[in-house]
Amino acid sequence: MTTLGIDLGSRKVKFAALRDLEILWLRDFDTIPFYKRYGGLHAGRLTIDFAALELFDPAHPPAAMVATGYGRNTINLEGARIVPEIQAHVAGARFQTGCDTFTLLDLGGQDTKVARVEEGLLQDFLMNDKCAASSGRYLENMAQVLDIGLDELARHADNPVSLDATCGIFGESELIGKIVEGHPLPHLCAGINATLVKRVLPMLRRFPQDVLMVTGGVARNQAFRHLLRQAVEARLLVPENPQHNGAIGCAVLAAARPLEK
Amino acid sequence: MIGFTTTIPLEILVAAGRRPADLNNLFITAPDPQSLIEEAEVAGFPRNICGWIKGLYGTVIRHGISEVIAVTEGDCSNTQALMEVLTLHGVKTIPFAYPYDRSHESLALEIHKLARHFGVSRDQIEEARDRLDRLRRKIHEIDRLSWQENRVSGEENHLFQVCTSDMKGDLAGFEDEIDAFLAQARQRAPLAETLRLAYIGVPPIITDLYARLEEMEARVVFNETQRQFSMPYPCADIEEQYRRYTYPYDIFTRLDDIEEQIALRRIDGVIHYVQSFCFRQIEDLIVRKRLKLPVLTLEGDRPGPLDARSRIRIEGFLEMLKARKP
Repeated sequence: MTTLGIDLGSRKVKFAALRDLEILWLRDFDTIPFYKRYGGLHAGRLTIDFAALELFDPAHPPAAMVATGYGRNTINLEGARIVPEIQAHVAGARFQTGCDTFTLLDLGGQDTKVARVEEGLLQDFLMNDKCAASSGRYLENMAQVLDIGLDELARHADNPVSLDATCGIFGESELIGKIVEGHPLPHLCAGINATLVKRVLPMLRRFPQDVLMVTGGVARNQAFRHLLRQAVEARLLVPENPQHNGAIGCAVLAAARPLEK
Repeated sequence: MIGFTTTIPLEILVAAGRRPADLNNLFITAPDPQSLIEEAEVAGFPRNICGWIKGLYGTVIRHGISEVIAVTEGDCSNTQALMEVLTLHGVKTIPFAYPYDRSHESLALEIHKLARHFGVSRDQIEEARDRLDRLRRKIHEIDRLSWQENRVSGEENHLFQVCTSDMKGDLAGFEDEIDAFLAQARQRAPLAETLRLAYIGVPPIITDLYARLEEMEARVVFNETQRQFSMPYPCADIEEQYRRYTYPYDIFTRLDDIEEQIALRRIDGVIHYVQSFCFRQIEDLIVRKRLKLPVLTLEGDRPGPLDARSRIRIEGFLEMLKARKP
């Protein structure tokens, strides 16, 4: 049986297809161009032009489809069961790692989520709710100020320059000030990565420090992972496909449904 | 009309024949509460100050209220500066303080000062207390119907309880409203059993929180502060009554009451509402340490419907509670 998971994120729309609980393929699209090209509203429901997307053979559509993500409160995706984001992320993390007791840190485009899972059951979770200065968007903005790519930004963890602005946008002018002061680029990059660690630590400290699973696009940033490892006692675990974790979780939940009572 | 910034010994105003007005209720039920905040910001109130303080300022100015009782201790220390600004506008302000140590002596002195200001005697106060208690007992019955018999929604209970701070400024009219509601609620079929939530913290600035929770198959069956407004304990005298009233005192006194009610009312999870920029936000860490149940901390800033992000968090929280339910 093939199932499809869709994670409608703030920066990327991600797809995951599973066949008999093996990952068949993963895809992602930038959110706004995706909605412009493939999205449509019919009778108040979001429809996706799957034919134009060419993700699967229309003659053999997936047996079940589950979606989650940003804006799912206002959008009903036709043909899909909608699940809360946190449920999708936990399912994805368990599927990808086989781990049942862990603290999950999901750093997405604008959302930062921390969840505690014990023996497969969600115990508690937190989510940033006023500011996105602890998210991937912050890294994107800062990389843009430095005129470098995210990959370059992710290379540097040594001698971080101290950045203290609580606001992501004011952080940009603070960064410009540091450039003017003459700090070398690697130190500025390290400072940005270290700032992100500082921002998520208060959320992490509320939870047990045994296994820390890191997902979301930011999990691909190796400097961030390195600095995070130094800051926490927990063993860091990054699944193979951190950015597609939510979509994979949805596909897992789609496969699980027919097995439910 | 005499305004006040949070629950004060209402008996004194009733005994003095003055019309009480809880400024919070006037603010949040205004057709455009957001504009009252904007008025305060235009006047120079900082952006990073609690929306209630700014709303109270806007309310006093718009209604032309000339006399305000200000609770300067036990509720919100920003009230002190609010009073100073109102004094500048010619508003007469009367301070009232709940002593942090809950000492009978200090509270008795505060109550005495307030009574003297309004020229009311002890007998008049006790007479007013009897009158008010009659209404309060009916509100307690609405509360009981909500958690014990599932015949009253979380929102209905919240609204009736929250109104006990000033009895809508009209005791007879409010009593008629309560009587009519009780007669109707008692006849209702019990609501379907859903997730049972406790709501703790100050009343929400979010206007549709209770309704949205019920849509998501969860019902608030314990309103901490609103229930406290209704003076839930029978007490021998007015000092004892306002000593047992937990809201203006330390978090541990509040938590004793919260824990007792959580057990009694078979609560599945707790929503701890905090107001943006309020000192009570700090206490969230104590709440989380003490309570054995899952706690969702929900922060509100300005009046209006529940925002999409908070809704996502609530959905995740309720999902978690459902998974935990045996």
